[in-house]
Parts: sequence; C-alpha cells; structure tokens
Amino acid sequence: MLTKFETKSNRVKGLSFHSKRPWILASLHSGVIQLWDYRMGTLIDRFEEHDGPVRGVNFHKSQPLFVSGGDDYKIKVWNYKLHRCLFTLLGHLDYIRTVQFHHESPWIVSASDDQTIRIWNWQSRTCISVLTGHNHYVMCALFHPKEDLVVSASLDQTVRVWDIGVLRKKSVSPADDILRLGQMNTDFFGGVDAVVKYVLEGHDRGVNWASFHPTLPLIVSGADDRQIKIWRMNDSKAWEVDTLRGHMNNVSSVLFHSRQDIIVSNSEDKSIRVWDATKRTALQTFRREHDRFWILCCHPEMNLLAAGHDSGMIVFKLERERPAFSVSNNSLYYVKDRFLQLYEYSTQKDTQIIPIRRPGSATLNQGPKTLSYSPTENAVLICSDVDGGSYELYIIPKDSFNKGDTVHEAKRGVGGSAVFVARNRFAVLEKSTNQVLVKNLKNEIVKKSALPIVTDAIFYAGTGNLLCKAEDRVIIFDLQQRMILGDLQASFVRYVVWSSDMETVALLSKHSIIIADKRLVHRCTLHETIRVKSGSWDDNGVFIYTTLTHIKYCLPNGDCGIIKTVDVPVYITKISGNNIFCLDRDGKNRSIVIDATEYLFKLSLLKKRYDHVMSMIRNSELCGQAMIAYLQQKGFPEVALHFVKDERTRFNLALESGNIQIAVASAKEIDEKDHWYKLGVEALRQGNSGIVEYAYQRTKNFERLSFLYLITGNLDKLSKMMKIAEVKNDVMGQFHNALYLGDVKERVKILENAGHLPLAYVTAKTHGLNDIAEGLADKLERNVPVLPSGRSHSLLIPPTPVLCGGDWPLLRVMKGIFEGGLDSVGRDAPEEYEDAADADWGEDLDIVDVENIQNGDVSMVSENDEAHEENEEGGWDLEDLELPVDVETPRATTARSSVFVAPTPGMPVSQIWVQKSSLAGEHAAAGNFDTAMRLLNRQLGIKNFKPLKSFFLDLHTGSHTHLPTFPSSPIISLAIERGWSESASPNVRNPPALVFSFSQLEDKLKAGYKATTAGKFTEALRVFMSILHTIPLIVVETRREVDEVKELVIIVKEYVLGLQMELKRREVKDDPVRQLELAAYFTHCNLQLPHLRLALVNAMSLCFKAGNLITASNFARRLLEANPAEAHAQKARSVIQAAERNMRDAIQLNYDFRNPFVVCGATYVSIYRGQKDVLCPYCGSHFVVSQEGEICAVCNLSVVGSDASGLLCSPAQIR
Amino acid sequence: MAGAPDLLFALRNNFYIGAFQAAINSADVQNLSEDDAIERDCLVYRSYIALGSYQLVINEIDSSAATPLQAVKLLALYLLSADNKETVISSIREWLGDAAIGNNPILRLIAGIIFMHEQDYNEVLKYTNAGGTMELNALNVQVFLKMHRSDYAEKQLRVMQQIDEDHTLTQLATAWLNLAVGGSKIQEAYLIFQDFSEKYQMTSLILNGKAVCCMHMGNFDEAESFLLEALNKDAKDPETLANLVVCCLHLGKPSSRFLSQLKLSHPEHMLVKRVSTAEENFDRAVQTV
Repeated sequence: MLTKFETKSNRVKGLSFHSKRPWILASLHSGVIQLWDYRMGTLIDRFEEHDGPVRGVNFHKSQPLFVSGGDDYKIKVWNYKLHRCLFTLLGHLDYIRTVQFHHESPWIVSASDDQTIRIWNWQSRTCISVLTGHNHYVMCALFHPKEDLVVSASLDQTVRVWDIGVLRKKSVSPADDILRLGQMNTDFFGGVDAVVKYVLEGHDRGVNWASFHPTLPLIVSGADDRQIKIWRMNDSKAWEVDTLRGHMNNVSSVLFHSRQDIIVSNSEDKSIRVWDATKRTALQTFRREHDRFWILCCHPEMNLLAAGHDSGMIVFKLERERPAFSVSNNSLYYVKDRFLQLYEYSTQKDTQIIPIRRPGSATLNQGPKTLSYSPTENAVLICSDVDGGSYELYIIPKDSFNKGDTVHEAKRGVGGSAVFVARNRFAVLEKSTNQVLVKNLKNEIVKKSALPIVTDAIFYAGTGNLLCKAEDRVIIFDLQQRMILGDLQASFVRYVVWSSDMETVALLSKHSIIIADKRLVHRCTLHETIRVKSGSWDDNGVFIYTTLTHIKYCLPNGDCGIIKTVDVPVYITKISGNNIFCLDRDGKNRSIVIDATEYLFKLSLLKKRYDHVMSMIRNSELCGQAMIAYLQQKGFPEVALHFVKDERTRFNLALESGNIQIAVASAKEIDEKDHWYKLGVEALRQGNSGIVEYAYQRTKNFERLSFLYLITGNLDKLSKMMKIAEVKNDVMGQFHNALYLGDVKERVKILENAGHLPLAYVTAKTHGLNDIAEGLADKLERNVPVLPSGRSHSLLIPPTPVLCGGDWPLLRVMKGIFEGGLDSVGRDAPEEYEDAADADWGEDLDIVDVENIQNGDVSMVSENDEAHEENEEGGWDLEDLELPVDVETPRATTARSSVFVAPTPGMPVSQIWVQKSSLAGEHAAAGNFDTAMRLLNRQLGIKNFKPLKSFFLDLHTGSHTHLPTFPSSPIISLAIERGWSESASPNVRNPPALVFSFSQLEDKLKAGYKATTAGKFTEALRVFMSILHTIPLIVVETRREVDEVKELVIIVKEYVLGLQMELKRREVKDDPVRQLELAAYFTHCNLQLPHLRLALVNAMSLCFKAGNLITASNFARRLLEANPAEAHAQKARSVIQAAERNMRDAIQLNYDFRNPFVVCGATYVSIYRGQKDVLCPYCGSHFVVSQEGEICAVCNLSVVGSDASGLLCSPAQIR
Repeated sequence: MAGAPDLLFALRNNFYIGAFQAAINSADVQNLSEDDAIERDCLVYRSYIALGSYQLVINEIDSSAATPLQAVKLLALYLLSADNKETVISSIREWLGDAAIGNNPILRLIAGIIFMHEQDYNEVLKYTNAGGTMELNALNVQVFLKMHRSDYAEKQLRVMQQIDEDHTLTQLATAWLNLAVGGSKIQEAYLIFQDFSEKYQMTSLILNGKAVCCMHMGNFDEAESFLLEALNKDAKDPETLANLVVCCLHLGKPSSRFLSQLKLSHPEHMLVKRVSTAEENFDRAVQTV
C-alpha cells in the first residue's frame, strides 16, 4: 500500500473523491464535513451545519455540488464554490446512512434507518420515489454506474437490487414530480414506480455494504457475519457466486476496483483486505493498530482509494504506476505489462522486444520497479519487490525482436536493488549485510564490497561507481578504490537523474530536488509542494522535471519556473530540443512540445551569453511584467530595458542600469520636471556634466545651473547666466552670478540698480573702485556708511579653473552587447551627448595603469612571502626519516621452488602465413623475402628485384601493429589479418592484411590518367611504373578480381610503353624520322580516348609539318573517328583537304598503318604481324628477338622470354 | 576483499594505464603504512623511468633504500645505456640468488622486465612464473604472448580473473590476449579500452590500444584518428609513431616522416629494428635469387 495522504480527525464515516480536482470530502462523526486537497495536503474548507454524525457524503460529477446526509435526518446539498448549503431535503424519519448523486439524471439516492431508500430530484428538490421493502435499517444504497438499477444492503440480512427504469420515464418534466408526490404518497406501500428486482439472501447477519461491478453484472457485499459475498445477476435472476472469508469482524465496506481485477474491503477488525476477484483469494492485508475502518471509496478516474477509520482517513494506492524504464542513447527501454519494450526516439517506433516474467499475482505491487540497461552487452536488469527485493537479468538476443511469446530464460537473484556499473558488471545491494555484490553476466559474484553507510538503494554513478542512498544522505562510492568520492546530506532520495555528460546529477525526493555535481558538491535545492515525479537534463544543462501537475525547469543556479501544465502525471524520459519525451501511467510514449524560450533566455542570461539574449529579444515575443521583474531582480535592468515600451518604466530602468543616453531619450519623451530632475541627479553622480547641464536647462533651474557652471569653471556660460538673469529681472540670480564671477563692477551695478545704494557703495569702496564709489557717494548725498577699519579685505574670487571641461573623466567602459544591439532596437540617442560622453580629458586610462602598478606591487610582495615559506619548508625536508631497510617476508617461496618448466615458444603468426600461402605478397608481409622472390621468379620470371624493394619493405612494415603493454617492458607486436568480421572465431589465423589493395591501384591509375592528360609525362610514367611494380605483390579475393588485375597489367603496360616512347621522342629532337616514327607508334598504344586524341593530334601536326601528308591525313581520319573537340576536328579536316590536294610523303618512315604491328618495348621499332618476337612473362610486352634474356624494358622486372607460370594473386586461383 | 580504502589505487591505476605524470602527481597520499610507502615510491620511480628520466631515478635512490627500490634503480641503470647491461644483469642474478631478498616480488618483476628486454623468455619465467602479485601475473601473460603461447597466457589470465576480475591489470591483460588470439575477441579488447577511456583519463596507451583494435578490425580510418589524437598528447610516443607508420601504409598515405621521426627519437624501437633487418634481408635475398 502506498499511502499518499493521511489525516487525523474524528471518526470518518463518509468519503468522496472529486472526479477532476485533487479533492476528497470526509464526513465525520462529529458532524463536520472536511474538504481536503490530498495533493497539497491542505484542508480547504469545513462545512458544519449537520447536527450529529454525517454518515454519507458525495460529490457531483460535473457540478460544483456535493450532498451529505446525517443523523439529523437531513439531506443537505451544498455548493462548494459558494461555501454554503443550498438546500435541505427532508423526508427521512431516521439516521441517513448513505447519499449518492446519479451519474446523469438530477437524482440523489439515500438510505436510511427508517428502512426506506429514497430517490430525490435535486433540481425540483423533491422526493420522487420511496423504495420500501427492507425490514431493518438500510445501511447502503447505490446507483448502478450505467443501468437504471439501485443496490441496497440492509441489516435485515438481504441485499436488494431495485429497478428504477420507471422513474426515468416518469420524470420527463420536473412538473411531473410535484404531481407525482401526491400519487406517490398514495402508493406509499404499493411501490409501483421502483420495484425490487432481486432479493439476495445468503448473509447470516446484517449487511453493511453492497456495490456493483463497474462493467460486469456482479455485486459484492459485506456483512456483520464477517463475510464478503459475490453475486452475479442476469436479466431474470441473481445468485450467489462465492464467499470471501478472512475478516475478523464486521465488514464495513467493500467494492470492486475500477481498474484492476480485485476486490477491496475494510472492516471493523482494523484491516483493509485486497482480494483477487477472479480467483477469489486473499491477496494482501493492511492492518492498523487501533483504528476500525468504516468506509472505503474509490476514485472515479484515477488509481486511488481512500479509507476512513476511527481517527482519520488515508488516501492510498495499491500499486505503483511508474513504468520501469532506462534511456540509452537514442532509445528507451521500458516495461509494459509483461513485455520489455523498445522505443526509438528518432523514428518514434515502439517495438516489443522480449516477454518477461509476469509479476506474481499472489501479492500486489510486485511489478518491475527499476530497469537498468547495458547497451554493449544488450542486457537488461529488472528489479522488483518480489521476495523482498529481487532482480532478473535478461540478455536480449540480437535477432529476437518481435519474436514469440516464450519467456526468455532469466537469471535471478535476491537483492535490494541492482544496477549495471560497467559494461558487463552489475552491482546488487545485499541489505542484510550492507554489502554490494558485483556480478558478471553469468550472475556469478565477482567481488564483494562492504558499504560505508547503511544503504537502502543503489544507483549508477559512472562506470565502477555507485551512488548509495541512505535515509538522510547519499554518497558516491568507488567500488575499486573502496573510497567515498562524494557525500551529500539529502533525505529520502527516490530517483537519481544524471546529465548525459555525467557531470551533474539531480536527486529527486518526494518534495524536493537537489542538484549536485559528479562529486556530490551541492549546487542548489528546490522545494516543491506538489510531488516530484521525474526529470531529465536537456542539452543545455537545464533540468526539466515533472510534478504531478506541471512540467517545470530548473536552471543551474536554482531558478525554476513552470513550462506547462499537464493533466495526467507523466514520466520524462528524454528531452531533445523542444520535444519532451515521456511515458504516461499506461506505459504509452508521448512526446510533448514545449516552448523553451523562457528558460533558454534565462539560461543565456545566466551564462552571460548576451549575443543569444539579444537575438532572442529580437526574434521572439518574450515580454511581460514577470520577465521584467525577473530581470530587475537578477540585476539585468539593462536587458529589461529592451522589453519595455512604456517610457516611464524605460526611464527608471535606464537610470537603474546607469544608461544615461536612454534615460535622456526617455526624459525627452516624458518631459516632466520630476524626471529631468532625477536624470540630473544620476548624471551628476556619473559626472556627466553635459547631461546635468541639459537637465537643468530643461527644468530652468537657474540656480543649480549657475552653480554647476561655477564648479566646472565654465565662466563664459556663467556670464551668460548672469545676462539671462538680468533679462529675467532676477536680481538675486544676477547678483549670485556676479559674485561667482568675481565681477565687482557688476555687483556694484546690480546693487545700485536694485536700490541698495549703501551696499553698492560699500562694495565699491571695499574693492577700491573709488571713482564708482564717489559716484555712489554723490547719489547717497554723502550719507555714506562707514567702513569698518582695521581689517584688511580681499576680493573673493572663485579659483580660476585649471582646465575647463565638459565632463568628469569617465572610465571608458567596453560597450556591452546590449548597448551595441540597442541602436537598432532602441531609440535615437541624441548625438550631441554621445560626443560629450567621450570626455575631453584624453588620458582616461591613467587610473587603470596606476592600479596595475599597485597590483603588481602587491603580487610581488606576496611572492616574496611564498618564497619564505618555501624556504622554511625546505628546512624541514632534511629531517625526513630514512626508511629502514625492510625485511621481506618470503611470500611465494614454495611456489617458486617447485619445478617449473617454461613452455616452448609457439609459432609466430607470420610463420603460419608463410606455411599456408604461395602468394608472394603474403610472404613479403611475413618478412620471408627470399621465398617471396623465389615465388615471383617462378610465377612472373622476375629477376630484377631492386625496384620492388620499397614495396617489400612497406608490406613487411605494415604487417604488424604495436601494442604498448606493461610500463617499461618491451611492446607486443601483433599481426594484422585480413578479412576480419565480428563473428570470426579466435585463434584461427587468417592471411595478412596487406598494405596494398586493388582499390588503391585504381586510384593510382586515375592519377596516372590525370597526369597524362595534363601532359606531365614523367610524373605519369612514375605512377604507372609504381602500379606495375605493385601488382606482383597484390592479393585479391575473387577470380573476377584476378581478371581485373590482369587487365590492369595490360592497360598500364601500354601506357608505360607509350609514355616511354613519347619521352624518347622528345630526346631525339634532331632526328625527324625517328620523331615521326615514335609519334606514330604512340598512337598505336592502347590508350584512353582523350589520350589517344591528344596523341593523334600530336602525330598529325608533326607529320603535316614534316610534309608527310598521307600519314598526316591518316591520323586526321583516325582523329575524326575519335570524336574530337571542334577546333581539332576543324584542323583534321583541313589536313585531309590539304593531303587530298597533294598526296605524298616527304620522308620515308618505318610505319605502315595498313599493316597491323606491335612495338618493341626496348628498341621501339614496329614488329609487323608474322615477324618473330619474344614476350615479357609479366607485362606481356613484345620485344624483338635480340632482347631475349634481357630485363624487360617496360616493367623493368622480368627477364624477357623466360618461362613463368603466370600471375598468382589470389587464393581463389589456388583452390 | 572488503575493508580499508585502497589508498594507492589511483597511483597504481594511473601507472598501469600509462598516465605516468598523473601517477606521480597522485603520489601524495597521507597515512601510508611502511609497505605501502615503499610501493608508492616504487611506482613513482617506475613512472619516472617510463617517462625516460632514468638519471633522476638513479640519483634519487641511494644505497640505503629498500630492496624493491634498489631493483627499480637497476632497471633505470639497465635502460639508461647499453654499457650497463652486463653489470646490471650480473647484480640482479646475484640478488635473485640471495634467499633473503630473492623472493621480493618487485625484484622478480624487474628481473622479468630486464630479461624480457634480453628476449630470454625462459629466464623471465624462471623468476615470474610463480606469480604472487597482479603485476607478476600480467607480466607472465605478456611473456607467454611474446612466446606465441596464448594457451598459457589464457591460463595465467584465468588466475588473474580469479583474484580480481575487475582489476585494471586483469582487464589490460585480457585485452592483450584478446588481440593476440584475434577474431571476434578483438571487439572485446576494443570494449575494454573503450571502458578505460570512459573511466580514466585518455592516455596514449589507451588510444594506441583502441587504434590497434581498429586496425585489426580493418578500420584504418578510425585508427588514424585515435593515433593522431595520441600524437597530439605526446608527439614523441614511440608506439604512436610506429602505429602511425603502419596505419598510414594501409591507408596509402605517406608514412616516411613518422618513420624517420621514430628512427631519430627511438633508434632501438622494434619497428626501426624491423625495418633495418628487413632491408638487410632484402639485400641478402636479392643476392641469392
């Protein structure tokens, strides 16, 4: 039993779940009805109007209503939204036991101790039917969930089923009900409208409860005879099917579970019992110490039950609903029913892989709890609570997809939990000894390791490591080092979710999430009021998790928020981009698309990736007060600035972020005194006197302005201010300004104008303006004030500014990305002020330098300190103890003394190659050069091996790899074998993998063609020669390839011969006859068409130039046949035309194109058909007879005319 | 098996997987017993030897140090120069004959390594075949493989597996054996190196192991990428260079630069010797044909 919620209260007699919200009503013996939110665990409301115990309570399915019935004979209908009772139905004459709404009609059924059942219409608020027949208290009356039936249980030891079909027909209009009330009363004992269909007798004592099966025609009842009876009915009759015995006292309530094939009952014997409805056996018993159970209630939609007892109630679940799953790369392995399923994220394909053992029905909650998967071995560990915790190990055969129903052989074992800790190792927790057993895939124990803390469960924590969970902490334990790598206080962790890079881990418990790094260093903790269900890491390092009701995110700094509301709980398996993949409780894969903008935005802010932030601001509609508040709170007012259109908010944010320019722009828009003033204050704080001035100007705050000019030493403006004051007739202002300026004359004038003649006189006199003083004295008619004598005076002149500048030196701050990005988004900042911002002081950065120097000093000092310390430490070193020479205990004496005979060395792989093979290449690879040469000599008549040296060496060098092994010991070299496959059996030696392959030669051939086309004949010749020299050592697999190799020899040979002739031709420039001959012969080599064209063009023009027009026209004709480019074709045609006019050959050539011939590879003369020639046994070049016994001039390998068995380059030729 | 934490685990492990500098760095362990301290010092000095700092080891170990350390010093002397070989061998034989210290596992191990360099495998086995430590067992596996006796190697490996199947040396030795017998076992060897690369820091030993597996599976492109990664870590690692030569040959890429690099830095390397003997062989063979 999984208790989800528990209350303490007076005895609970009635319970009802809300169909949609997480609410439950509990009616108490004390007369109170409580409304609880069982998810949040809070009491939402209390309804106290009943007098005495309330025994029945029921929510309406869709309306905000519930009904209650109590010992005050009253049925009350309440509206929970209005928090009040709407009306009371009166009629029963004794305690009311149960009340229930009909699922669609506006009816309420009630059962009472007055021996009647009544059906009420709550819309017309009248009783529409009274069902009589029971002759004792009616303990329970319930509607059938679909049909027009009512079942009732009574202390008269019967269960009755009533047909209320008549009611439906009669209650067409509410008006009828009132009419019928009178009629009903007359029929009081007649019972015409609702009739008893069946009376079920069988219980020996009073029956307390009876209820219908949700879908089948079954009834279950519980009675004071401590028995539960199952009844079946059909259209005509009903009969007892079976009896369930086991309760030790009166059965108070019993019902069929709506989703599982079980019966749940509770009783005054303080137990809840679960029964198998088909086999009719007891499955499980849950007991309480002191509380008798009174009521049981099933959630209409979810897998929840509630039971009321003497001191409260419990909301519980019988079985876990979380599917066991494990994510591996791109796929999800999970258990659904009795199958292991595979879901591929990329294709969204769901496949059944293998059947697994069906969870035993003998007890509940034995289904798979966790699943662990090892991708390399394709093995699955499934843990469940069977036998107090056990696991099963399945190895998925590679070809078993969708195959059969047979349960695969599973290896089993007992253990608290089991997880894979390495590719082929899993750890099993043995709780009794607090040990971890490391086992291999054969289920054999490889290692045992005691755990340092008392562990409830283990989780994977990287290869070879375990995350062990105790009640109040978790640790990461290294199984090899037997050391604790990390330790963290965390109570009741339930699930562990690692990020894909294994750097961070989320520990989920019921109501909190702890995020830590791989050494369990705490990063942040989140608390959730609603139960946390699952979570997964997205690619950006954001943890996405689900609670019962929401999908939420958690940033690395602990900020969290809601992404989406979900209607049913889901278990996140993987997140890819905006897609959340999850499993629901039915084991179905779902993919939920979310809007990740918000958290990605916050994440970018957090990671200071402002470019992302900017682009997100530009591209998306991220807005709203919440975001602004977040930004302000997190210290990003400058970012918030970009969201705001409202000028006042903008202004405030700009001030907050110190962005004067935006503030100015906003202030201009707003143009209110208050804002200008604030702007002035901020500008002053920043020392931006230009803006200060501007702000003062805008507010016409002349006093401040003057003072500003005074302190910035702007005397010009100050005098202007004086004039303004004069114009404005502001004497005081004028005087102030004059005072600031130290302008005595002006002051005197002002005083004079203002009529303060004595003051003016004094001023003038004091400062020695005697002529003015005289004038004033005249005006004062010599009535002059006496100046105090004996005091010296001086003119108070404000210090002359050393430098007059606009602004304070401003630190040159790097323009942040936001300011840069702002220009396009933001307003047109006034340029004048930008200029002002770049201070006139020029040497802004001096301060920074000074700081640097200071820092430098500091670090030097600290370095000295360190040096001291080191010295001191050095002093201690000397006193290190010298370790005494240890006397070794002889450990392996006996073992060593026994006679050991070293084995004789085995045969190296290369030797095996030599023995098995008669291919020259393989011998060369094995390093047996002499045998290789002998083979080549025999097969191809090769005598000149010099050109093959590098090929031999490469073959041999490339035949072995070098495996570094034990430090400082010699390496092991390993022979590379050919044709490896996954299924190759070990210890069977294959021939060597050679460094030369046929495909390489094909590539080389292409390169040779290319060089030829480009006219790089020496280069081309080199390439073709290397092909010709590689072929003797090549090995291919099939006979077809052998033929291809042989073809290749011919092709290459032709090119080599042709190119050699062409190069020769270039050497013999002074011999025109020979030139023409060689050019002509070149056209007879078997070349690729483009090359042939080039050769023909060449030969044609040479012959034409030399005046051999007949020959030239022959070449021209051949060229035209070869489909040449237009320019060449043109030339060819004109050559033919010229030749037709003048059919002659200027020079006699040894070249008769009408007579078939071959060219000698050494002397380059034509050998016409019928003439005797000799061949090269390898390349097949023709030679004049005199060349017999020489090394072939074409391939430079074989002896011309020697005997040879032919090219052997494949094992297929030998077989 | 269970019990006190294995304080030297990290050091030992780093040493075995070829992360020598990391091994030296992780040597600072507190509260070691005397035996453990000696083992620690041995491992540290052997790491220095593996890094080529022979003289440092020779200088630091003075004559009063414990037998195992003396043995390590002998190894350094042996590897330092060919001139020392005879004296080293004679003194090690003498020590092995001494009943008081002759059984010291580290002494026997060092003797094994030295005789392995001498290619005198019978002599190696004389001292190491009895085993006693994982290192000795691993060395035995290696010797048997060098003798092309994978059957014996397998037996020895089984002994190791019985002691501790998950020990790094057991795993390594399994990989060696798997590579030596070839076929489907190569995949398993690859998985072992793969496991290492996930668990521990990447070293050129691990990368070379992976590359060798790839080459044996015919996957030279992948091998090349591993080897280049290893070359990035240590541009002078002889095995990396040697395997690059082999790999490039198979890929048809020019390999001569790596070979000459190897010839310059490690004239004694197996591949260099192999090439030079092959050249001699070739010339001799040309004469005979």
